[in-house]
Amino acid sequence: MTAAVRMKSITKIYPETQKRANDQVDFTLLPAEILSLAGENGAGKSTLMKILYGLISCDSGEILVHGQPFAHPSPIEAGKRGIGMVHQHFMLVEEFTVTENVVLGEESTAPTGLLDRRQNRQRVAALIEKHHFSLSPDDRVMSLSVGQKQQVEILKMLMRDVNILILDEPTSVLTQLEIDSLFTTLRKLQSHGVSIILITHKLHEIKNISDRVAVMREGRMVGVYETAEVSEEDIARAMMGDEGLSVVRKERRQLNLDPVLSVAHLSLIRHNQDHPLLDDISFTVHPGEILGCAAISGNGLGQLESVLLGNLPVSSGEILYHDEVLTSVHHTATTRKRGIPFVPSDRLFTGCSLSAKVSDNVIATSRKRFFPPFNVSRKEIESYTSHLIETYGISATPSAPIGTLSGGGIQKVILAREIERIRDLIICCEPTWGLDVNSTAFIHRQIVQLRNDGVGVLLISSNIDEILALADRLLVFSRGSVSARFSASQMASLTKEELSPFLLGKKRMEVEGA
Amino acid sequence: MRKIERFSVLEYFVRSLFGILAIVLLSVIMLIAAIFLLSDQPLTSIASFFAGPFSSLYAIGNMIDHAVPLAIGAVGIALAMRSGNMNIGGEGQVYAGALVTTIVALALPGWGLTGILVALAASMLVSGSVATLSGWLRERWNVSDLITTFLLSNIIILVVDYMVAYPFVDPQTNLISTRFVDPSYHLLIILPPSQLNIALCIALVCVLVAHLFLYRSRTGFELRMVGDNEEFARYAGVDHRLYRILPMTLSGALYGLGGALAILGTYHATIKGFSAGMGWNALLVALIARFKPAAIIPAALFFAYIDAGARSAMFYSDVTYEIAYIVQAVIFFLISSSILQRIALGRRRV
Repeated sequence: MTAAVRMKSITKIYPETQKRANDQVDFTLLPAEILSLAGENGAGKSTLMKILYGLISCDSGEILVHGQPFAHPSPIEAGKRGIGMVHQHFMLVEEFTVTENVVLGEESTAPTGLLDRRQNRQRVAALIEKHHFSLSPDDRVMSLSVGQKQQVEILKMLMRDVNILILDEPTSVLTQLEIDSLFTTLRKLQSHGVSIILITHKLHEIKNISDRVAVMREGRMVGVYETAEVSEEDIARAMMGDEGLSVVRKERRQLNLDPVLSVAHLSLIRHNQDHPLLDDISFTVHPGEILGCAAISGNGLGQLESVLLGNLPVSSGEILYHDEVLTSVHHTATTRKRGIPFVPSDRLFTGCSLSAKVSDNVIATSRKRFFPPFNVSRKEIESYTSHLIETYGISATPSAPIGTLSGGGIQKVILAREIERIRDLIICCEPTWGLDVNSTAFIHRQIVQLRNDGVGVLLISSNIDEILALADRLLVFSRGSVSARFSASQMASLTKEELSPFLLGKKRMEVEGA
Repeated sequence: MRKIERFSVLEYFVRSLFGILAIVLLSVIMLIAAIFLLSDQPLTSIASFFAGPFSSLYAIGNMIDHAVPLAIGAVGIALAMRSGNMNIGGEGQVYAGALVTTIVALALPGWGLTGILVALAASMLVSGSVATLSGWLRERWNVSDLITTFLLSNIIILVVDYMVAYPFVDPQTNLISTRFVDPSYHLLIILPPSQLNIALCIALVCVLVAHLFLYRSRTGFELRMVGDNEEFARYAGVDHRLYRILPMTLSGALYGLGGALAILGTYHATIKGFSAGMGWNALLVALIARFKPAAIIPAALFFAYIDAGARSAMFYSDVTYEIAYIVQAVIFFLISSSILQRIALGRRRV
């Protein structure tokens, strides 16, 4: 049997950093298999796939596609060989319809040379029908959900008769339901003979979907396994090397102090929605505890974050910091003015300014300290930044634009910045979203340390493992309201299985306020 | 995800400098090519173009004098652009500033230094208000500042034209012009016999203050934060609404100041259309300087040099002043496309 793809001793050194992104990598993809390409951020998996897709060239090595040498790769050439790639961030024309996006570059034309709209639409409709996608050919892409946009991307590939499909972190932006439907699609494609490569670092998805898993670390291929024969821990160990899994251990504390943050009967109603986006939410955060808010994305966590940030005015209810009203129907946006440390979920566009220096990002939330209101010397700013970089073990220089750091590096800077201003409360939203195992462990340790130091932590996260590992008490959101509350004593034995009916909204708990 | 290439800071600086130099070099090559095409005596033309502006102290002084209002206007543009605002109404704001200064000077003859200060303040107030209006419209109703500044500017030009041609016209000249302001309003000449005057010092102070303001003050820091990423600035508790208006006010006021200083230092009367091009050229200077105050001085001087060169070539050889427009157009084209800078920075796609 000829392999769909065989890459031999691929080496790639980026001239800017002199880093060996790929070092003598061998890689094989069998026909009609689903293969996960796993590794931490910066392990070289994206580089390898970009080489295969022809986006970048390798310094040495050989590529065979269906047994034929693939000597001068380019995306166009890759397309001719049946290789398609769905990028993490979609490449779609938002204003165009599904049909227009899918046929772009492959349009059917009438004899007059004009677009044959009817035939284009029919081709796309047939393809949607064949693969049971939940799309209409006439929908505008901008009106689609993220999961549907991904389907459009896959349709584009199918239209071009792709038989080797590369998906870069396909699940990072999807909800659980969308992930399930994506996996169903992938299995169906597999049964049609398509070979699929998933670039991912989510262990349970690797176990769930793939036949084999190839693990990369620091530019090398460290192992290829039959997925059925290895456990998630085995894969994690291969990804991280000898450092091992650092498990966050919690020492529970019982403290009966007044709450630092109280949210009372908070509702958010929009006229064009059939149900409230937030429905009568009440909770308190006490010093020395982590209160978790968990939900599948799209069930109100985003709105809760926006309200806490002051980006959305509430319809009723209020938010108090100690006894001081921060947000109510009458005033919003005072949460930030009050300077409550906040780690936002969108770290790239809300949490930092990518083009600004690391140092400017670090002082952005303590401007009064560094500019009172003038400061002729930047020395203080630079030395403070260096101090943070050292304390938190971030690999960066103060004057580099923060956008040049890795995702984990950026998140460490944001967390360090916010931790340094903590008095007694911090709000963390999706703090480890998309981060590799080491950065995640680092951030979890920091959060637990804060709690042990007596800080109240509000942890808003759709990562259920994270919530179960960290939270002292837990609120579960479903369709904008609280579907379950778990006290500290209940948390000790709580499992994912017990949690999921509440997450899915199939069960609701009737409890008095917590 | 937006790809950001990994460069050291020094390398980044060198590469962006290279981009600017390449633009300057290319436009000079275009200029020489144009002269060879258009002139019967190309060598004389080229010599007078490049050497003319340095032929005498008089020429040098006038060249620098022309750079002054451009530099002041460019500082304003830089402040607006760095905060994510747009003010392309410079033409009208310069012209309005000039007229207001002239009116104050004519109304308060013999007031000397006090009068000068009142006149400058009045022109900054008027031009600043016009730009503030655009900022406010954007803040309040999200009306594009690109459009309002431009349209308001066109209206203002017509109004000032009318004022110069009718209520304030000087019947004793053949020009359509106001009367001349009295000598107590003339700024001190620092390089006789040229027209270079102490407005140059004011321009240098503006650049210095703008630099310190942007990089060493909290307000400047917040202004840059809003310009870099408004979402982030809001998250960090910056009142982003203030920064839709304040930078517009400052940029309008600086345009007004540029126009006022041109009157008190150089022209001494508002002549119809005298400032045509100043607003656009200041924008161009700010673009060349990539909105960095420190780079505005060389950018303004380069611009004034091209202008003076074209005048000199027109005077001593057979090319016309339009040759300068060709260079300006080439620069405008290259900068707005930014192709060279992007190639220099190794970015193909953004």
